[in-house]
Amino acid sequence: MSHYEASIREPLILGDKNYHDITEDIVKPIEGKANKHWYMAFYISLAAMLWGFGCIFYTVGTGIGVWGLSKNIGWAWDITNFVWWVGIGHAGTLISAVLLLFRQKWRMAINRSAEAMTIFAVFQAGLFPIIHMGRPWNAYWVLPIPNQFGSLWVNFNSPLLWDVFAISTYLSVSLVFWWTGLLPDFAMIRDRAVKPFQKKIYSLLSFGWSGRAKDWQRFEEVSLVLAGLATPLVLSVHTIVSMDFATSINPGWHSTIFPPYFVAGAIFSGFAMVQTLLGIMRKVTNMEDYITRMHIEYMNIVIILTGGIVAVAYATEFFIAWYTGSPYENYTYLSVGAATGPYSWAFWSLMIFNIMIPQLLWIKKFRRSFIVSFIISIAINIGMWFERFDIIAIVLSKGHLPSTWWRFEPTFVDVGIFIGTIGFFFVLFLLYARTFPVIAQAEVKTILKSSGEFYKKRSAQGIATKPAINIAGNVVINDKSDKKDIE
Amino acid sequence: MASDKKYWQSVEELTNSSFVETLSKNEFVKEIATDEFLGDKETLSTSSTTRRDFLKYVGFTTAAATLAACEGPVVKSIPYVVKPNDIIAGVADWYATSMADGYDFANILVKTREGRPIQIMPNKDANATTSARVQAAVLSLYDEKLRLKEPSKGGKNISWSDADKEIGAALLKLKDSNSPVVLLTGTMASPSTDKIIQEFIVQYPNVKHIIYDAVSESATTDAMMMIYGKRALPNYHLDKAKTIVSFGADFLGDFHGGFEKQYVAGRRPETGSMSYHIQFESNMSLTGANADKRIVAKPSDQIFALVNLFNTITGSNIPSKATPVDAQVKQMASELKKAGSKGVVLTGINDKNAQLVALAINKALNSEIIDVNNTLNIRQGNDSEVAQFVIDLKAGKIGGLITYNVNPLYSLTNSADFAEGLKKVSLSVALSTENNETVDASNYVLPTSHFLESWGDTQFNEVTYGLMQPTIQLLFKTRQLQDTLLTWSGNTTKYYDYLKAFATNTILGGSSWNTALHNGFFIKENTSVAIASEISIVDAAMQLSTLAKKVSGFELNLYTMTGLGDGKQANNPWLQEFPDPITRTSWDNYLTMSMADAKELGFSNPVKDNGAIDGDYAKVSVNGKEVIVPVMIQPGQAKGSVGLALGFGRTFGLKEEMQVGVNAYPLYKNSNNIQFGVTIEKVSGTHKFACTQVQKTIAGRHDILKVASLKEYKTVEPKDHHGWNKPSYVSYDHNEVEANTIDLWDEHNRELGHHFNLSIDLTSCTGCGACIVACHAENNVPVVGKNEVRVGRDMHWLRIDRYYSSEVETREEAKEKGLSRGDTYKALETEAENPEVTFQPMMCQHCNHAPCETVCPVAATTHGRQGQNQMTYNRCVGTRYCANNCPYRVRRFNWFNYANNNEFDFYMNNEYGKMVLNPDVVVRSRGVMEKCSMCIQMTQATILKAKKEGRAVNTDEFETACSSACTTGALVFGDVNNKQDKVSALAKDKRAYNVLDYLQTKPNVVYQVKIKNTNEA
Repeated sequence: MSHYEASIREPLILGDKNYHDITEDIVKPIEGKANKHWYMAFYISLAAMLWGFGCIFYTVGTGIGVWGLSKNIGWAWDITNFVWWVGIGHAGTLISAVLLLFRQKWRMAINRSAEAMTIFAVFQAGLFPIIHMGRPWNAYWVLPIPNQFGSLWVNFNSPLLWDVFAISTYLSVSLVFWWTGLLPDFAMIRDRAVKPFQKKIYSLLSFGWSGRAKDWQRFEEVSLVLAGLATPLVLSVHTIVSMDFATSINPGWHSTIFPPYFVAGAIFSGFAMVQTLLGIMRKVTNMEDYITRMHIEYMNIVIILTGGIVAVAYATEFFIAWYTGSPYENYTYLSVGAATGPYSWAFWSLMIFNIMIPQLLWIKKFRRSFIVSFIISIAINIGMWFERFDIIAIVLSKGHLPSTWWRFEPTFVDVGIFIGTIGFFFVLFLLYARTFPVIAQAEVKTILKSSGEFYKKRSAQGIATKPAINIAGNVVINDKSDKKDIE
Repeated sequence: MASDKKYWQSVEELTNSSFVETLSKNEFVKEIATDEFLGDKETLSTSSTTRRDFLKYVGFTTAAATLAACEGPVVKSIPYVVKPNDIIAGVADWYATSMADGYDFANILVKTREGRPIQIMPNKDANATTSARVQAAVLSLYDEKLRLKEPSKGGKNISWSDADKEIGAALLKLKDSNSPVVLLTGTMASPSTDKIIQEFIVQYPNVKHIIYDAVSESATTDAMMMIYGKRALPNYHLDKAKTIVSFGADFLGDFHGGFEKQYVAGRRPETGSMSYHIQFESNMSLTGANADKRIVAKPSDQIFALVNLFNTITGSNIPSKATPVDAQVKQMASELKKAGSKGVVLTGINDKNAQLVALAINKALNSEIIDVNNTLNIRQGNDSEVAQFVIDLKAGKIGGLITYNVNPLYSLTNSADFAEGLKKVSLSVALSTENNETVDASNYVLPTSHFLESWGDTQFNEVTYGLMQPTIQLLFKTRQLQDTLLTWSGNTTKYYDYLKAFATNTILGGSSWNTALHNGFFIKENTSVAIASEISIVDAAMQLSTLAKKVSGFELNLYTMTGLGDGKQANNPWLQEFPDPITRTSWDNYLTMSMADAKELGFSNPVKDNGAIDGDYAKVSVNGKEVIVPVMIQPGQAKGSVGLALGFGRTFGLKEEMQVGVNAYPLYKNSNNIQFGVTIEKVSGTHKFACTQVQKTIAGRHDILKVASLKEYKTVEPKDHHGWNKPSYVSYDHNEVEANTIDLWDEHNRELGHHFNLSIDLTSCTGCGACIVACHAENNVPVVGKNEVRVGRDMHWLRIDRYYSSEVETREEAKEKGLSRGDTYKALETEAENPEVTFQPMMCQHCNHAPCETVCPVAATTHGRQGQNQMTYNRCVGTRYCANNCPYRVRRFNWFNYANNNEFDFYMNNEYGKMVLNPDVVVRSRGVMEKCSMCIQMTQATILKAKKEGRAVNTDEFETACSSACTTGALVFGDVNNKQDKVSALAKDKRAYNVLDYLQTKPNVVYQVKIKNTNEA
């Protein structure tokens, strides 16, 4: 039964592939040479990253004063970027863990890259809480380490401390989950590697994977357990990030809706970033057959759903700001005051990029269009950045006492660090795309016979598709395409 | 036997082939130069150092070098070899002394630590007050950039004895040729110095003493001279006043030295009566901001209104002109008549005729408030003498000029004439504490001591005789004026002995000199009774209204700012950074302009994206003088008038950062603060202001700052639904309940030990800002400079928020007017054209349920047992979460290192400036948060003192810097667990409220509702 899938479902693997084709397709970027585009992208990212690192060194060496913050606005781009990157890091675990539990096979083509994106995004996110500190060299004080400073201990009441736990847990579980999935694929590369150095590296990375049935059995079990562990994390991380704001007393932050709304927003932005990355990757690494319109559409559906939740949350916030009648709520980031105030441009950017533009996805033609999806995903990325900027900067710019109302303008260092993290992210992702199997080939192979286009067609025509592999591991010649493959 | 054996490693070796030989030779291609390294063989063999020892030495030195490299920088602290008798390290010594710098006069207490004055406080026994400038004067002592350090002649250093010899010879020569010599000083108000000068003049009859005040009140003293035959300023007992009518007299500012203490004493709502204060003015002054009723009138209208009031009160019929404020003048006249002898009229128009009219009105009212017997001596400048002197100087009629702490080259309108004349004198001597233009242009420069290094006496009014004593050893090679004059007079007595003898013989009348010196003052009987001569005021009033009739163009009202005054302390970073109470702008002066005029002439103050305010430049021309000055639109400025502060724009010798603002003295013609016929033209360019508050109104959030009228206070129940001190209500279980009835937390028992509260009376607070500077000094608050203040990074722990009223004050009002929601915001956020003004001192509220404490991940900010919210700088990692979660936004972050940083070269970057630092308070490093600590170092010291003396802390013994500096008693600090402490009652007063009480942060800072007397009229 597991190898049967209704023919009306669209195939997840296009073309008439066999197992070996999949292997070849996926190792091509690793074993081949990088093209000009890769180098171009890499050097641009590297330059951005180095510029960002320069700005970070400047900040740490001189003081946070090189940013645009003031006595009334203590956070702005730093925490905006932090929340933005954490949010982006959400799609990975959702795709690999939640969708695994729901047995959604379409995740197999994208989970590897989504998880890679998660981990790289969390790296970026993790940078900000450290460098935004006035004295980052003391950052380890936020860890509950037994120490010799006296009886000093961390403050377990502080949401920032919860962040430390939430983010580090998320990063470690995501990393383990990702690595587990990579083991058979690394082993595949190891087995094919001809250069000794490469072979050595991939041997180490694959942890001695042997491909025995016991290995596979454990692999499946660990995946399931980790998926179970990771699923609550999908909800917890952004819930806790939202508590940085929700547990405070600033009007516009102090909001019980924040946890679910932040989680939905995170998934929304995470899927948008996956769309953006896959849109580029499927072209650059010739994965068009694996990342299909079907995948794009499924992700777009998730985007519509989470985007809808986010939109409802916005409406609720706006309504509550009005309904309380409290003068202090008048200038929260979603209020008439914000829509007409000095930050109206940010307010309307949020509305347009996050609510209006994604509505295009209700149209099937757009939903299935690679280019439209790509553009909308970029819009959502921008919109979600503005959401965090609005929450932080607009709320802080209009505090309780009108005498403390102020404005924020970023300096070149603020901008530089943000660009730097984007550069860093892409440097990691580009290196990943050249050295890691970007698609979980071992998993994809399991659905070739059920969801591959060729097999689906054959099954629709009533041709038996029993797996036929001879003792040497070669596919038994039983049809034209296989024959061609042998030749 | 054994030696026969041959060991071999290879066949080649065994057979002794030449190949092996070659190889063995080549084994070490180059011989390692060990001998060279260790010395020649001979020394090596004779040396007792074995290889093992050598290695030990190497190891030891390497380890030692490594350890030495790890050592931190050494900061030397040198103990006293012989401990001075009256100094105990770590214990402050207080000295009572007096300040008299020519513009600011006060009986003060000086706190010294290890021989360094570090703070100035008012001498409350002498009933004295201190302004921000007096508080800040301690930093000017340590101004190593501007202070003169050595006597010099023509730019070359010279010894004191040589200088005395040369100047003495020159003086004799001038005496012999009977060439006039002028001794030009500011007001000193020092009886002993007056005597010394008299004796000097006896020695040199060609010397004339002329008193020159940069900011003059000569018109008043002239008027007093005319009527009462006494060149002095009248005193005003505003505490007894019922009705105060002021025509542009900034008597809470610098008018006659300020009367805020008396004024506030007459405005205690709890006594059931308050004085009724009406202010007619063109600029928005501190006094106008505090007035019960502020009536906008440009200077010419003020003059007519004054004449009209004179007419109404005295029944005369001096020709005047109708003004837009005539109705109010009539009303005031009846109010004044009603008040009778409890009414008083003051005018700040520095015109003799105007002052005469005001004096005549007070006389007609038979006012008890004005005191012409116990007069003030703090402005003795004589404008006409100064004017004649400059003419003579220019004409070359003056042979010698001795200046003392005056800077006419900067502060004279006709400074060019002065400069020209100065070149013609044969002897020019500048005695000065600080370097300035005049000092630079003089031949002999003799540095005088700062008042904190000097002996002296002062007689501010007829009753209080103040003594001045040194609080520190001389920092530089300076000598007091008095010693110099005594030397030149040929008197070998030291000034100290002279002063002691003078005081004992003529003032103290048998009382102990030591006691007087200890107290810093001596109250003597006032024997002088001024008798009014019957002169006709009609002429004066006629002249006055004729003058005002001729006016055209804009009217310029020159004024002094709370921070800089006449500009003497322009190099004082505390005062430069001090935000003006009205505009809340620091590091600048500007042309204040009404909204209507600004609109007409196209001036604006746009708020930039970084929160800062910009301004346009205006060219102001009057009497042929021009200055280009940025424009600040000032709500409440009279249309057709502009204001500009004196005292800015000094450049000579000042640090580059301090060279801010525009010198307005060239416009100060005839020392008249009102100048007519001004033209204003917009010129290109954008000025960058450093303003600490951008939003001007309270945006309808009236629970932050509560105001009620005296009538409401007396008749309406405060906590009622329509009460004037209604608490916040929240919904709980679908019921409206008072916010303070519900709580998330378990209450601690706060009855044990001390629990500190600070009460701030908004009725008494005039916004003068003395507390801000006191806090600066006490807590080592850094100065950050104009650019940083501009982007919102001032470090003041204590600030005074200033709110203007808007045309539409509440949401309900907006609804009644049918405004849309967007328009409501705009209406609430926009200040009125002629607003009421309220001040609110704001500092850490020390919440018992502090929002900042829960969010700090490292527990760097925690709650103290005594109610303080404490900040542990060492633990802070600088996440700034606490600042974001503080609803009062009082936390200040160290964006950079402000000490020992050349980028912030203010006072924490040089050895002299650092001497003012309070050793009890740590200087914060970058990256940590700081804020008001409720002066925990002071409360702890008080507790320890009581403990050492084996007693309980006395009632009202606890103090903070701000509460002790507060002139009017608006800030009251104390222990609420001591029921006798004033603050205990205040915390429960019916006027008491907490800011943002709906948040239930339970602050330990309590505000008292501001009561205005608006119902009298």
